Amino acid sequence: MGLLGAGALAGATTLGLGGLLSACGRLRAGLVVQCAGMTLLGVAGVAVLTGGEVLGAAFRSTIAPALGLDPLSGFFLAVLALTAVPTLVFARDYLPSSPGARAVGALTAAFLLALVGVLAARDLTSFLAFWELMTLVPAAAILVARRDRAVRSAIYAYLAITHLGGAGVWIALLTLAHHGAIGNPAALATAGTGAQTLVALGALVGFGTKAGFIPLHAWLPRAHPVAPAHLSALMSGMMIKIALYGLIRVEFQWLGATPRWLGLALLAVGLVSSLGGVLWALVQHDLKRLLAYHSIENVGIIALGLGASLLFADAGQPTWAAIAFAAALLHVANHAIFKALLFLGAGALERAVGSLELDHLGGLLRRMPWAGGAFLIGSMAIAGLPPLNGFASEWLILQSLLHVAFYRPLGVALAGAVALAGLAATAALALLCFAKVVGLVLLGSPRRAECAAAVDPPLGMRAGMVALAVLCVVLGLVPGLVVPTLTGLAPGAHGAVLALHAGLSIPGTGSFPALALALALTTLTAVLVRVRGRRRAAPTPTWVCGQPVVAALDWTSAAFVKPLRLVLETLLRPRRAVEVERSGGMVQSITYAGHVPSLLDTSMYEPTIRAGLRAASVARRLQSGSVRTYAAYLLGLVIGLLVIVHTGVLG
Amino acid sequence: MNALSAIVQIAGGALAPLLPGSIQTLKARLQGRRGPSALQPYRTLWRLWRKSAIDPEGTGVVYWLAPPLVAACLLAALAIVPVAGHAGSFGLGHDALVLVGLLALARFALAAAAWDTGNGFALMAAARDLMISVFGEALLILVLLIAALSAHSSDLRAMSTAAAGSHIWSGPAHWCGALAFVLVILLETGRQPIDNPDTHLELTMIHEGPLLEYGGRDLAFLHWAAAARHWVMLVLGAQLFLPHWGGFAASLGLLVAGVAGLCGVLALIETAQAKLRILRVPALLGIGCAITLAGVGMWVAGVGA
Repeated sequence: MGLLGAGALAGATTLGLGGLLSACGRLRAGLVVQCAGMTLLGVAGVAVLTGGEVLGAAFRSTIAPALGLDPLSGFFLAVLALTAVPTLVFARDYLPSSPGARAVGALTAAFLLALVGVLAARDLTSFLAFWELMTLVPAAAILVARRDRAVRSAIYAYLAITHLGGAGVWIALLTLAHHGAIGNPAALATAGTGAQTLVALGALVGFGTKAGFIPLHAWLPRAHPVAPAHLSALMSGMMIKIALYGLIRVEFQWLGATPRWLGLALLAVGLVSSLGGVLWALVQHDLKRLLAYHSIENVGIIALGLGASLLFADAGQPTWAAIAFAAALLHVANHAIFKALLFLGAGALERAVGSLELDHLGGLLRRMPWAGGAFLIGSMAIAGLPPLNGFASEWLILQSLLHVAFYRPLGVALAGAVALAGLAATAALALLCFAKVVGLVLLGSPRRAECAAAVDPPLGMRAGMVALAVLCVVLGLVPGLVVPTLTGLAPGAHGAVLALHAGLSIPGTGSFPALALALALTTLTAVLVRVRGRRRAAPTPTWVCGQPVVAALDWTSAAFVKPLRLVLETLLRPRRAVEVERSGGMVQSITYAGHVPSLLDTSMYEPTIRAGLRAASVARRLQSGSVRTYAAYLLGLVIGLLVIVHTGVLG
Repeated sequence: MNALSAIVQIAGGALAPLLPGSIQTLKARLQGRRGPSALQPYRTLWRLWRKSAIDPEGTGVVYWLAPPLVAACLLAALAIVPVAGHAGSFGLGHDALVLVGLLALARFALAAAAWDTGNGFALMAAARDLMISVFGEALLILVLLIAALSAHSSDLRAMSTAAAGSHIWSGPAHWCGALAFVLVILLETGRQPIDNPDTHLELTMIHEGPLLEYGGRDLAFLHWAAAARHWVMLVLGAQLFLPHWGGFAASLGLLVAGVAGLCGVLALIETAQAKLRILRVPALLGIGCAITLAGVGMWVAGVGA
């Protein structure tokens, strides 16, 4: 215990030192030291997770700072280290040639420290302090790295929305502390349902804003794409997961009895976020924006698992409650890994080709085999394809929702069935989206000269991406080694509820032997390749009805999504502008521009902002600037108060 | 018994081309033509097997790997799907949702191969296939949910056993599931009114589209995979949603009769029904989803049980 605590402290100190080194100009060395610090912290996290013991202080409702780790924090810390270490290795070769590199390097360490701090905070003040730092530090880092006006406005939206929504966190935590209920669920149970509902709703809105639940997501696709690649990876991979950590703490551990409506609410939020996230991801033209929308989809999927867990607990099915909880946590880890990989890949591609516009890439798998191969594995993992890690956790969450539909009451069963169908559709949409991404970015012929000349990035960037791709494969092959430990983290679970297998062998399912399935697929494919033998015919051009193959006939991102856009036109509401220039009856040129605005931006945020501005302009009329008017206001105020006191309204 | 069912499962791979073959023959008879023999798919496969595969210019490893991977996915699916409620122990489990994952992997491989060739017709078809699969996958999983309700498990063997006997037909849920599964079969096998297997007009095809650039043994793999998809879906439909009872031998006999009957139904639908406009297909599948949700609701509420 003493050793572990010392290790964790040493890790945090090393991380801080790494940040200082980066600030002093030794950027590469600083990033390596940060790496070492994160490794130490990750080891401590794994030790706490598997040892099942509590390190340092326990949770308390006081305001005196206290730090400590328990298995749930340990799990998130381990996932943070698993994504942060490869990301820092990537940054070692990526960052030095970026603008504001030294400051960004130092702020990276500060950001990681803030993330670790939220996980280790054991009291109200340190939690809220680290929580706010976690929001502010990446904003500062982005502003240092990018100075254009559009980025400033994106960061403003990010800070405004996360702080407005983040008020929910303050409300929930202050109410909990008021009742002495932080780390003590019995206290809130005695406080009555009013306080419980307030805490549950506050946490759902507050943490949900930071996690990117629809409709509180509007900041996410704006802020994540503008950050430097390694920060995007950490923000999308880990920052939104830390918000889910807070959500789990409050809703699962400190609420006392969990109401049924909370489970249903999580299912609803998860369904809307996952379907909405992936739908608007499909219609993006910029790779990083597309990836940011997929983060919304994936927190939605995690919310589905969490909601199912609450509903199982409500229905008196503790085993399935633990499995669904473990499924959600596994997806936390999996999404952190493949999303970090994809954002790093986007950074590497941008370096190599200078653009992330989907229609301007192409043919990069052959020209960048390492970065392209890793990106392909990440894409297949996020699309939920067996035998990679995304499928393992999605399979578990699908199974959980399937089993929710077995139990009464009717409303809960139907909610489970609808969520199940929604998740299946989400998975198919993600498949469509990443078939498009893989095709446009990696396959086919290069669409610009820069793509034809692209080469693999330097060693550090390659190593970071390959490490994450290996993690995707390994977690996909042996998910059963992790899941039993995770079931032990579920509230009310006493130890693991599943036996240790390589695959997922769960009663009530037909079992998913991941390793055997992967082996079977590889062996069968290899045998079939061998049986197929060599090709004797010469290569031929692609069939385009006999026309010559020209770049203008290349299929585009918009074309591939067009069937779906036509089917869902009422929902997506695409805007397009076609300009035809004629002279003398002949068409000279045609320009086409189309985009699909976010439905919530146009129907919710824009009207709200307009109404706010209108209200402000009305209120501005009160400010005449003349002293006499203000004196009249004061006089009116005094008279009003006197009247109130006189009538005795205040008692 | 498990060894015997393992043999039947493997034989399924060899028998699969018979299914689309006999549907074509039946359809021709219904339309007053003599039509090809039911063995025609075997002749086609043999013809393709003797030809060399080709590489379109500019394609890479994805194009090269896709046909064997698709065939491997379907082989694994054959191992997962039991026959008459029993299955050999191939060590791959018998989970319904793993089957869904394998079909998705095959779909992804073909779509990626279409991108690798850059062929507009292949991509047009792949885009349609993936668009329809968004609604199709939701429907498929809901139908599997209905079949899993009485078994309380997503193990295909348990689901098949639970669907045996006459008791299951007393509630409306199973009827809903059976009705919706017809739509799943039409979709997954690429038959009218959703897709037209007879067309070779590039502008209208869905499942055949991504095959355009393939030839020789590559094309043979993909043709076999399409036939195996018929086998998987029809066998699944017969043992989850058609009446069956008794021991293994009796169930196996009923399974054969059921699969033959389903082939007849498919031929009949193809004769009577024209292809739907592609943008109408999601509405059809949406109706299927509504039927299954109603079935789930009635089952949980205990209607007719």
